[in-house]
Amino acid sequence: MSLVSGPGRGMTAMPAEMQLYVDRHVRYIQSLDTRKDELEYWLTEHLRLNGLYWGLTALHLLGHPDALAREGVLAFVFSCLHEDGGFGAAPGHDAHMLYTVSGVQILATLDAFDELEERMKGGRQKIGQYIANLQDPDTGTFAGDEWGEQDTRFLYGALNALSLMGLLHLVDIEKAVQHIQSCANFDGAYGTSPGAESHSGQVFTCVAALTIAGRLDLVNQEKLGAWLSERQLKNGGLNGRPEKKEDVCYSWWVMSSMAMLNKLHWIDGEKLTKFILQCQDPELGGLADRPGDMVDVFHTVFGIAGLSLLKYPGLVEVDPVYCMPRAVTRRCLGK
Amino acid sequence: MASHGITRGPGTAARSEEARQKELQQITAYKDLMDLVNTKLAERQYTIEVLGLATKLLNENPEYYTIWNHRRRVLLALFSATPSEEAPAQSSEELVQGDLLLTFALLRKFPKCYWIWNHRNWVLREAESILGADAAHQLWLGELQLVNKMHQADSRNFHAWSYRRFVVAQLERLATSAHATTSGSLVESEFNYTTKMIKTNLSNFSAWHNRGKLIPRLLGEGNADSKTRRALLDAELALICEAINTDPFDQSIWFYHQYLISTLSPSCPPEDLIVSDLNNGERQKYYEHEMEYIKEILDDEADCKWIYEALLYLAEAYLEVEGGTKAFTTKDMQSWLDELKRLDPLRKGRWEDLGRRLDL
Ligand SMILES: [Zn+2]
Repeated sequence: MSLVSGPGRGMTAMPAEMQLYVDRHVRYIQSLDTRKDELEYWLTEHLRLNGLYWGLTALHLLGHPDALAREGVLAFVFSCLHEDGGFGAAPGHDAHMLYTVSGVQILATLDAFDELEERMKGGRQKIGQYIANLQDPDTGTFAGDEWGEQDTRFLYGALNALSLMGLLHLVDIEKAVQHIQSCANFDGAYGTSPGAESHSGQVFTCVAALTIAGRLDLVNQEKLGAWLSERQLKNGGLNGRPEKKEDVCYSWWVMSSMAMLNKLHWIDGEKLTKFILQCQDPELGGLADRPGDMVDVFHTVFGIAGLSLLKYPGLVEVDPVYCMPRAVTRRCLGK
Repeated sequence: MASHGITRGPGTAARSEEARQKELQQITAYKDLMDLVNTKLAERQYTIEVLGLATKLLNENPEYYTIWNHRRRVLLALFSATPSEEAPAQSSEELVQGDLLLTFALLRKFPKCYWIWNHRNWVLREAESILGADAAHQLWLGELQLVNKMHQADSRNFHAWSYRRFVVAQLERLATSAHATTSGSLVESEFNYTTKMIKTNLSNFSAWHNRGKLIPRLLGEGNADSKTRRALLDAELALICEAINTDPFDQSIWFYHQYLISTLSPSCPPEDLIVSDLNNGERQKYYEHEMEYIKEILDDEADCKWIYEALLYLAEAYLEVEGGTKAFTTKDMQSWLDELKRLDPLRKGRWEDLGRRLDL
């Protein structure tokens, strides 16, 4: 599985098809906020805070944690924070779980919870309360916001952010765990809600939430591992469901789940590494869903995080549960 | 910021000056519209005019979730507004129809956008409290047609499948409360819908999945007796075996086969059982029958790894319940595992673990 052939072997010694264009990716991510003359920049404002988390995490994993100025990042994060403790995608956008989690992840990565308190007294507690209020007391699952859409993505997000802030006690973990179990299917995998078809993205959210809750014993590890391993296609890439096309973002959802189950060796890591590397834009940087497609910061971070799980040399270790640097989660969780 | 399936172009640096100017104009127009809508919403101008502007903005960017939220705030205000001389109100029914049309058109263009599905769902739930149960029933019936259309475009769209399950639940709820004597259950017609989808495309795992979820309900609601249950199991096995024979390389089919086999096990949870009174002798017969059938396919498809995987899966289940008579030897199992390692090197580590687990 490991591509490292011994200490001292740097990335420059890699054959061309095994090259990771670190500097180009760093420059690509740095350029993202300077693209205001592109319509796409304005049409994706609803993803801005997620995008910042994706870009920042990619930079940390690439070993360039300071490539974005800390002050600027924090100023933007705080500009998305609402009075009630929720974060929106950008200033003027409503609060939602998806952005609140990204906000917390960025604060954790930058070790900035003290600055949060300076900015908003009792801020950590307020964010925790915003999240806790979204739990459905009857079913244990979580809504995305006041409008009530429910999905295991939000349940995972809640446990992710609360655990990073040491506030898991604000919610009913046992009920949340029961809800996850009700989303399990006969193939050992999980869907968005009870009755829904198994989907790799949802497998990641459910397995990661169970890991945070300390209840991996509830997973049918043999069956789920088998189902996940069948996501790998002949070209090395991974798909999200049976009989679908491969896609770089699934290299993360599938592989991180396998890593949590200690079954990463059930797929061919070298072939997957080559597939991910083929999705790079070798000139302008960034990674795409498939070779030759347009890059974006979403596929860039999940491609790089996937390579980190595959122990691509020179990358910083990623935590499969959080998609954040392992050193950061170790600091936040105290383990 | 998260795109799929768009071919990489030459990059923005290669834009002509003309193209650049055009894009700048588009940006200005978009930002002007955005500012206008946001200003009016901040002033709480919850009017038909602002609703129209929000429509315009959402048509350009249906992912702009905050505008969907505002749209709902505007609608709630309009639903409860009384018509006045200056501003003749639109009826709630017209407003509901307007938003159903808007979301339908947008879903055709953006079938995987969560926010559009959500908004449609919200509008229909509101419609029920405003227009009453009978009108709501008619509206939800129409939603089945919407799902059919979405599935014609993409039969695997999981938003459409989830939505279908939700719509069916609403129809059943409304039917039950309206006619306390009839059950109002749609489980049989939903089961038939999966048959239709599978017949069109055997590889549609979404349909197989939904079928598996419906079976326990189908049997439970019909108070099926032991004979009916066995007949259904046999019919499902016959159906899936025919599918295996048609395309033994399709994993959707094998997963459904595995599901059926898993319901035979003594450790299957009671609520998932198809036949509830199997004894070990019968179990053994089922396993043997499946193994024989699959081995027959092997004659034509010796290089299909799914066959060996299924044989090992069945063998393991068989060993759990076997009473001395053995339909295969350890050597057979060893040879199936060797074939898996030969045919499926990607998952080499998994086959090695399996060999250790089965003591091969
Ligand atoms: Zn993707």
